[in-house]
Amino acid sequence: MELVCLGLNHRSAPVEVRERFAIPPTRLGEKARELIDAPGIEESVVLSTCNRTEFYLAGESGEEAIRALRQMVDTGGNEHWYEKHRIDAARHLCQVAGGLDSMVLGETEIFGQVKDAYRRAHAAGATSGVLNRLFQRAFGVGKKVRTETTIQEGATSVAGSAVELAEKIFGRLKGCRVIVIGAGEMSRQTAQALVSRGASTVFVTNRSFERAEALADEMGGRAVRYDDWQATLAGVDVVISSTAAPHAVVKPFHVEAVRRVRKFRPLFLIDIAVPRDIDPEVGDIDEVYLYDIDTLEQLAAEARGRREQQIEQCAQIIDAELVKLNLPGT
Amino acid sequence: MGRGVHLGYLLISTLLAAIGGAVGMRALRHGHRSRATVLWMAGAFLGQIGFLAIRGEMRGACPLMDTGEVLVFLAWSLTLIYLFVGPTYRLSLLGVFSAPVVVVFQGIALVPGVLDPNPERVLSTDAWRETHAAMSVLGYGALALAAVSSVMFLVLDRQLKEHHLGSGLFRNLPPVRELLVSGRRLLWLGWAMLTVGVVAGFLMKSEGAAAHLAAAVVVWVAYALLVGVAQFRGLTGRRFSLLTVLLFLVSLSVFAFV
Repeated sequence: MELVCLGLNHRSAPVEVRERFAIPPTRLGEKARELIDAPGIEESVVLSTCNRTEFYLAGESGEEAIRALRQMVDTGGNEHWYEKHRIDAARHLCQVAGGLDSMVLGETEIFGQVKDAYRRAHAAGATSGVLNRLFQRAFGVGKKVRTETTIQEGATSVAGSAVELAEKIFGRLKGCRVIVIGAGEMSRQTAQALVSRGASTVFVTNRSFERAEALADEMGGRAVRYDDWQATLAGVDVVISSTAAPHAVVKPFHVEAVRRVRKFRPLFLIDIAVPRDIDPEVGDIDEVYLYDIDTLEQLAAEARGRREQQIEQCAQIIDAELVKLNLPGT
Repeated sequence: MGRGVHLGYLLISTLLAAIGGAVGMRALRHGHRSRATVLWMAGAFLGQIGFLAIRGEMRGACPLMDTGEVLVFLAWSLTLIYLFVGPTYRLSLLGVFSAPVVVVFQGIALVPGVLDPNPERVLSTDAWRETHAAMSVLGYGALALAAVSSVMFLVLDRQLKEHHLGSGLFRNLPPVRELLVSGRRLLWLGWAMLTVGVVAGFLMKSEGAAAHLAAAVVVWVAYALLVGVAQFRGLTGRRFSLLTVLLFLVSLSVFAFV
């Protein structure tokens, strides 16, 4: 019995190729079942996400299994596809489950996607001794990588960094009120990230009221006329500013004017505009925490750097676990 | 019970708190927090109980008769309130920050001469005096913990303001809002107990205690102002925390002399 993997991912293939081979989650089990009907393939699991499509196969001969798969899937040339055999295929699966092969290093969503792919193949009767043992071990490895290293720690995007900081200031974001000044894409992403973590009320203001309304609708928030945003400042915890204004929009006197009404509660200001929207002197006010785009990007870059430093440790965990597995076919 | 035994309890308790603090700090340097700190502090708490029980037996009264006893009682009430508040509000690192305070209080108590080596047995007790002493020191335990959580806030606030966010300490400190809320609640709790202590002080037989009671009233008024202003007018987190720490240190020094 030999284990093989044939696949393509975000590194080997552009999106227009990946989308051609993408398989909807609901069809993964059925596809895996179809594959084991082919000669030379005894077990199979099909994994398909927006960044990868991979076929994990077990058969008497790896070459024969790959040949049968290529005929069924019509993979065309070899240009975008990678083949992994035996222990390399097992190692690759562990790397995928641990988020080491993901576009965002250490992301955890892939773990659930691998689990789902296996569950569907198993339910369709497409797995047996080799792949059952391999996938169970890969899930164990994925968990171990997450608990014994810091591969998933720290946000790797500007929006993620802003959310982490907001949680450091306010704890749970449930009940947090946010105002978005300027309805651009970056502010939308950041506000959306805050809402997804529990922020309850979003006010949106923009020079064009229609754009403010559109973004407010999208996020279940409320549009505020641009001339009225200062009055809203008294009731919010987070300000996200991203206008195209060539000068500062939020100045110290805006915050000074509402400090007493706010009872000096902490206020988190996120300035993702260039040129900056928030006068840096606002950050000198005691209860204000001011972060601009450079600082947030730097935080995200540091987190990515820290994750990369963990790769070696993750590789050691994977190798140690695979030695313990001693799987036939590897 | 022998004299050495209660000092043994105190020594063990101090060592356990010191180890708890050191283990917690070491874990922080490696970027995570030690969940064992609460266990070390619980051990220190048992040692404190052992010491205070024997000392109380020797006195035949609540052991709050000399500076050493007051310090240990204060450390005990701080630890007691930490053990309630820390896990309840999930205030990580509160133990790591509290342990040094406990070690300092008990370390001073262990300095020769601070604890009366031959405590006199109290012949007659005044229930109001004991209530005054016990409630005041318990209140001070809560106020000490409020000061500890304020120090934690000041550290976090500085890191957030200066964008120094890479340390293990930063990652493990509780959020700003939780520190401020717990600090304010602890201040209320301490002030409420202080109120009972001051009222009991006026009801006790007060020969020669006029200066002490006057100081107690001044401290009570100062804390009343702080909790009142923080609650009803609002204070910035930094100002609130600085005042909480300052008031605790000043009032503690005042009581060292009167």
